[in-house]
Amino acid sequence: MESKLLTEHYDKESFRTLKGYQELGGYEVLKKALKMKPAEIIATVKESGLRGRGGAGFSTGTKWSFLPKNDEDRYLLCNADEGEPGTFKDRLMMERAPHQLIEGMIISAYAIGSKKSYIYIRGEYTYPIRVVEQALREAYDAGLLGKNILGSGFSHDMDVYRGAGAYICGEETGMISSLEGLKGQPKLKPPFPAVKGYLKKPTIVNNVETLAAVVPIIRDGAQAYRKFGTEKSAGTKLFSLSGDVVKPGNYEVTLGYKLSDLINNEGGGLKSGRKLKAVIPGGSSAPVLTAEEAAKATLDYECLQQMGSMLGSGAVIVIDDSHSMVDLLSTIMHFYHHESCGQCTPCREGTGWLDKMLHRILLGEAKSQDLDQVLNVAKNMMGRTICALSDAAALPAISFVSKFRDEFERHLKEGFKEGKSHAQMHH
Amino acid sequence: MLKCTINGKEIEVSSGATIMEAYHKLQEEIAYYCWHPGLSVAGVCRMCMVEIEGNPKLQIACNTPVAEGMKITNESEKVKESVKWTLDFHLINHPLDCPICDQAGECGLQEFYMTYGKYNPEMGDRKVKKHKVVDLGSQVVLDTERCILCSRCVRFTEEVTKTNELGIFNRGDHSEIGTFENRPLNNKYAVNTVDICPVGALTSKDFRFRQRAWYLKEFETTCNGCSTGCRVNVFHNQNGLFRVKPIYDEAVNGHWMCDEGRDIYKHINLDQRLRHSKAGAQQVPLEKALETAKQALKAAGSSAALLITAQYTQEENQAILDFFSNELKSSNIFYWKNNEETFEDFDGLLIRGDKNPNTQGLMNLLKEKSASGSWKDLKAKVESGQIKTVLVAGPEMLSVYPDLNEKVTVLSKTQTIWLSTCEHEFFDQLSLQLPVSGFAEKNGTYVNYAGLERKIQAGVKFVAEALTLQEIVSAFRGANVSKTNEVAL
Repeated sequence: MESKLLTEHYDKESFRTLKGYQELGGYEVLKKALKMKPAEIIATVKESGLRGRGGAGFSTGTKWSFLPKNDEDRYLLCNADEGEPGTFKDRLMMERAPHQLIEGMIISAYAIGSKKSYIYIRGEYTYPIRVVEQALREAYDAGLLGKNILGSGFSHDMDVYRGAGAYICGEETGMISSLEGLKGQPKLKPPFPAVKGYLKKPTIVNNVETLAAVVPIIRDGAQAYRKFGTEKSAGTKLFSLSGDVVKPGNYEVTLGYKLSDLINNEGGGLKSGRKLKAVIPGGSSAPVLTAEEAAKATLDYECLQQMGSMLGSGAVIVIDDSHSMVDLLSTIMHFYHHESCGQCTPCREGTGWLDKMLHRILLGEAKSQDLDQVLNVAKNMMGRTICALSDAAALPAISFVSKFRDEFERHLKEGFKEGKSHAQMHH
Repeated sequence: MLKCTINGKEIEVSSGATIMEAYHKLQEEIAYYCWHPGLSVAGVCRMCMVEIEGNPKLQIACNTPVAEGMKITNESEKVKESVKWTLDFHLINHPLDCPICDQAGECGLQEFYMTYGKYNPEMGDRKVKKHKVVDLGSQVVLDTERCILCSRCVRFTEEVTKTNELGIFNRGDHSEIGTFENRPLNNKYAVNTVDICPVGALTSKDFRFRQRAWYLKEFETTCNGCSTGCRVNVFHNQNGLFRVKPIYDEAVNGHWMCDEGRDIYKHINLDQRLRHSKAGAQQVPLEKALETAKQALKAAGSSAALLITAQYTQEENQAILDFFSNELKSSNIFYWKNNEETFEDFDGLLIRGDKNPNTQGLMNLLKEKSASGSWKDLKAKVESGQIKTVLVAGPEMLSVYPDLNEKVTVLSKTQTIWLSTCEHEFFDQLSLQLPVSGFAEKNGTYVNYAGLERKIQAGVKFVAEALTLQEIVSAFRGANVSKTNEVAL
């Protein structure tokens, strides 16, 4: 069942303008927040159980509390790079409700004591960039941004920064590097961004959806938010449903919702005559689920983790029996090879190696032992690099090959049957 | 101070120290490529993995601070497996062209393969092709296929020289070190990037293809290129000297040296040397030359003059100054200062305008002897006929004495005994030339600009007749001078 905490008014054209947004109660929560103590807001967000919606699922309130307790300048960065293949929810949020994001950001900035924030939007999102920039101008004109917001004494400036289209710039420290004008490469931790981030100042990086969710949490209180979802996965979440379903799209549902319900109810089920083969539940880096696993899965952090996968960014990619898993993995491996920043040796060399092996496997120029080699290489790329890209490449490799070994073996014996593949076109 | 245990051994380190520093303090083995004590931490090679008790994930030693009571190991199977694999990742696209690679024999990849690798290569796919023989500037050549992207050279130009010529271009396994358009790597410290390159990616134009590393011996000494006096290793074999590399000396040069200093080996090799004593252009036996010099100086007695450069060791200066003041009873001691206009220059890092290794030391001794005469004073006395016999402790490095010809022209009009390491056509106008040892052929002390004493060491002997100033003074006093063999020690 859809629960529209964030997306209730997304179908209204006027909602993206300041006037329309305010008519539906917009910026009322900001007024309320500015009367609260910053620590109260942080406590409420912590209590609400809100977890990062970008992929890692870390408690937002806890992340905020890592900031040093002093007067040092600090930054709030909104991660709108949305690079995880299969994810397109932030785009919708920025297009349909730019003021919801801005309101959430002003409240969050007030809570953490930040005078300046940036919305880092991937360069390909030309339309959302225009919409958000327009909304920022409206907010400035209405005194919702700038000096002394709504007479509260709190001042805050906000800007849009356009990324240049690298997956790695969605990693928070890679994004910070990019924002600093450097090559988009993750930074070594420690120090963590909350201590030394953008321009070596304390910095909080939050996803678009996370920041927008702050609005209903402050409006209704932590307990009201917790009424949605499960104990460890509170609230609602947007899922970008794509692949072999009748009605792909973004759907906001309560966390803990059944994956099969999302596919069959919101998604309208599979195309007729097709059988479910697999589901990638959280973006291309989340380990794939078999149809049997997908039937049992619920959409929350703990269930998917228990199944060895993850909720990630909420990109649910549905795969029916018309697709070759070899082809799909080959495409995914090509993506990670292309996007590895190249700093850390295991990732730089490993992603290329996996890509080449998968390409050989796809062309049928491999032996069964090469599948073991894929598993071996992938296993040894994990947990050994600065950021999670290496793991993000290794996880699908391991899950595809081990869960669909039969199909890979059959492919090696019988060759490619489904015509020209995506991966072949890439290479 | 913090206590921790490394591979079962307890150690105390200062608060804030990294695990890497603790390993070094304990002299425990740990593998790394990107870490360098003189540069910031990059944490990218991922070789220095350690296992910390209670932490399921391996951590890199270079960026993990030690915490009280930490139990650390890099001897567990988990760490060994990780290091082996990371080494393999370094090697899968490496060209393995060791037979034609200059770094062979002193290569980090070879070394760690023998320590941590020794596996059968599993990579059956095509290697990435990248640029080879990339001319980075006047000193350095790059092979991007051999490069392991440790970023040491990039950080060197960012942090040490602050010239930022190098960068990493592209990404993933197509990343390459390179320079920006019209900005070659031509800073005065460029060859340090070759030293810190753990593989054969950066090679020195001066050294490449000239010798195999395993045919070279080395000895520690002090650079005589300027008054900084960097500590260096000189590499040599029976065919001559081949290269100079810096040695860490915290108070003097840190980890680095300048490219100019890398050339100081060249004049020691035979092709530039004064190999025999000469009277005018005529070769004379060493014994005869020494006897002639001795007689001339004794005859001149207190009117004999010494013109001295700051190119000699403290021990040599002492010997020759004592001979003049005590035996000849001469106070005609004159100091020859070179390149006066740039003498006080300093580039903020290591290079000093005073191109002598021992100015400070010589100044101290001259002060003791109350000798304040300059070239101008000597010139006046020679031209007025007051001084007729001059012993010149001439420069070892002729190239930094641009006023050489002027001095020779003036002194050729009088009886002059010139001590020199190298040959120069101009010297044939002089009454007598005696060959002296170069810095690599003698033991002694230099005092640098800051008053710090650093030793030099005799590592080779290429010219049999070359003597030190002490040996020459001994000969003047009547000792027998026997020729040493012309061999590398």
